[in-house]
Amino acid sequence: MSNEELHEEEELDLASLPDDELVQQMHDDLYDGLKEEIEEGTHILLERGWGPVKVMNEALVAGMTIVGIDFRDGILFVPEVLLAANAMKGGMAILRPLLAATGAPPVGTAVIGTVKGDIHDIGKNLVTMMWEGAGMEVFDLGINNPVENYLEALEKHKPDILGMSALLTTTMPYMKVVVEELDKRGIRDNYIVLVGGAPLNEEFGKAVGADAYCRDAAVAVETAKELIAARRAASVEQPIAVAA
Amino acid sequence: MSERAQRRKGGGGREARRAARIEAKVPTVPYITRNVPCYEVMGEEGLAVIEAQAETILQEIGVEFRDDAEALQLWKEAGADIDGERVRFPKGLCKQLVQANAPREYTQHARNPERSVQIGGKHMVLVPAYGPPFVRSLDDGRRYANIEDFRNFVKLAYLSPYLHHSGGTVCEPVDLPVNKRHFDMVYAHMRYSDKPFMGSVTTPERAQDSVEMTKILFGEEFIQQNTVMTSLINANSPLVWDATMLGALKVYARNNQACVVSPFCIAGAMSPVTVAATCAQLYAEALSGMAFAQLVKPGAPVVFGTFASSMSMQSGAPTFGTPEPQLVLYVIGALARRLGVPFRSGGGLCGSKIPDAQAAYEASNTLQHAMLAGVNFMLHTAGWLEGGLAMGYEKFIMDADQAGMLHAFLKGVDLSENGLALDAIREVGPGAHFLGCAHTQENFESAFFRSTVADNNSFEQWEVDGSLDHAQRANKLWKQMLKSYEPPPLDPGVDEALQEFITRRKAEFPDSNV
Ligand code: B1M
Repeated sequence: MSNEELHEEEELDLASLPDDELVQQMHDDLYDGLKEEIEEGTHILLERGWGPVKVMNEALVAGMTIVGIDFRDGILFVPEVLLAANAMKGGMAILRPLLAATGAPPVGTAVIGTVKGDIHDIGKNLVTMMWEGAGMEVFDLGINNPVENYLEALEKHKPDILGMSALLTTTMPYMKVVVEELDKRGIRDNYIVLVGGAPLNEEFGKAVGADAYCRDAAVAVETAKELIAARRAASVEQPIAVAA
Repeated sequence: MSERAQRRKGGGGREARRAARIEAKVPTVPYITRNVPCYEVMGEEGLAVIEAQAETILQEIGVEFRDDAEALQLWKEAGADIDGERVRFPKGLCKQLVQANAPREYTQHARNPERSVQIGGKHMVLVPAYGPPFVRSLDDGRRYANIEDFRNFVKLAYLSPYLHHSGGTVCEPVDLPVNKRHFDMVYAHMRYSDKPFMGSVTTPERAQDSVEMTKILFGEEFIQQNTVMTSLINANSPLVWDATMLGALKVYARNNQACVVSPFCIAGAMSPVTVAATCAQLYAEALSGMAFAQLVKPGAPVVFGTFASSMSMQSGAPTFGTPEPQLVLYVIGALARRLGVPFRSGGGLCGSKIPDAQAAYEASNTLQHAMLAGVNFMLHTAGWLEGGLAMGYEKFIMDADQAGMLHAFLKGVDLSENGLALDAIREVGPGAHFLGCAHTQENFESAFFRSTVADNNSFEQWEVDGSLDHAQRANKLWKQMLKSYEPPPLDPGVDEALQEFITRRKAEFPDSNV
């Protein structure tokens, strides 16, 4: 059989696969960055009565975990991870409204942007890609963002995380301006503030009042997961905060 | 006269020779004028293909000039098509603007005329690294740079015979307020060195302050007629010029000061992954920037800059000293010569964090190729570590030493009677040695490049000397240099006027880090 035939046959076969094989196939399709197949697989599982949380965890997140491991180990390349993240995004777009309806906590949402005066965005784009790959919903504000842009986006999207990137020593102090503004408005603690960019370091992250400095995109994913989990755990312990 | 008497006559004994060889004065080694042809990786046919693609990019896709209404207006008047911030250029317009107006080469004057440099043509000017927010040394490891480090690197560049230029942001003094540090940086170049230097580009106002300071140092009339600064303007590839860079470019061009118009490109992210496509895109970007400078002020000196690196497709990190960007460097060098403008690229680039084997390999890969490719203005010659994030004290010494090798190589082959030295071969004949012959006696001191860092002694001698590695020897050298440093004289009246200007300007607005 030629590759093309094989491919065609697999596409046609997706619906006829038993659950466990379909999930396995979706892990492969995520790995191969096949967005349409992932969307189709997601629909099939839902039609078969799978709950959205189960689809997300077993088919999507588990598949992207494998992608993450192989990216870390240098087996997968950036453009491949980009495709995988994009496929993940496709699946998550279907699941998100269903997840919300069940009241299950979303994986997490984030607003991210490069700060005012700075146009470096390659690193920020990688972080966005990896966050999306982890199932998060990310609102990317692009480059050169004054504090107003962040405030507006926070208001609109009510994310878990505010991410800021800066690559210039002349622009990285602007992160502090943003954090102070949040403070002033009494909304600082509503968000997890994560910062990154090559000229920053741990100490600088602390100095601007961020919750954490992320040295690379993989760390940005781990940190986001950890801090979101910690925040949710804390709000469960304090039911009043949830009610508010 | 006996041979001994003859030798004694010119000798002067131990004292004289020691004094001559341990000369205290800072030697001036002039900028390089090459006697070796440039190497090219493709002929005219290939270059024409690249150029045709660049023209297609300019015409069909266009370039964005962001947040700068004046720029759009100037382009409109010049006959370009304006669509929002996107500018599309009729074929040939940019090239014609550059060729009709921009100088093929120019002199950048230093306050010490002996140290003025010629940028373009057969010349090569070596400039320290630019931009690192961190410094690294064997003593302190890696830490944020401060103004003391900045001054140290200005002093080291001043004391390095093979660096012709003081550079610009030799490191970023993060201890000073963002909106005022440019005063101290430009002043340091003026005060602690007498070599030419670069101005601030981080806002148009800071560029203007740099110009005002050169008026004090050189005299207002002098700077209107002459170029005394060459500053760095980066494109935001792909195909974008941002307002910060355009603003600084306009200030410099209007004041007859030079700009290195540089697409700074990490192929894979900022241009396609292939060499030919990257070259065409960089050429289009540089043409649009250099032509824009000519619209602002016809005749403004511009340098066709490129900084080509490739991306690690496994992590996204920029990589250095790798083969594909060297091919880009050769092609762009040829395009710049063909266009008729000076060319900037190269440097002691590397991705290594420390002055180790990776640092040395990658740096010398770039330095050697840049030399052969015909770079005229070699930014980042010395000090670069960690993809430009750190300025290394030891790395600076290592690279400055390599810079000396470029001088020796580009002298080329001397075919004079002395170079051919037939007499020496006659004199020595078969089976003997050349150490004592007249020709060797006359030439030995300058015949071979001598590294000040490398150790070529016997194993035992090296061991007696402390078994130091390359970086450890470089560590000793920079410390010795800083210890021996004496500032070049500066007219006290000028110095006072500069300080007065700085004090006044700093008092005009509050410190700010944004
Ligand atoms: C939660 O939030 C998070 C979490 C993690 C986050 C995060 C946010 N953001 C990043 N991370 C982290 O995760 C990412 C993925 O692992 C990582 O992101 P990074 O961004 O670190 O890594 C990327 C994947 C790859 N790295 C990069 O993309 C940056 C590489 C370097 C070489 C670089 C580039 C490419 C550029 N530059 Co610029 N540039 C340099 C950089 C030197 C360096 N080695 O870092 C640096 C930062 N630049 C510098 C300079 C000086 C400048 N640059 C300028 C311009 C540019 C380009 C446009 C040419 C280009 C940017 C293109 C783009 N679209 O982004 C100019 C400024 C323009 C402006 N208005 O902002 C200009 C001022 C130069 C000039 N004179 O024209 C220096 C800054 C030093 C300083 N003193 O502050 C510099 C160190 C190089 C140097 N030695 O000159 C992590 O840091």
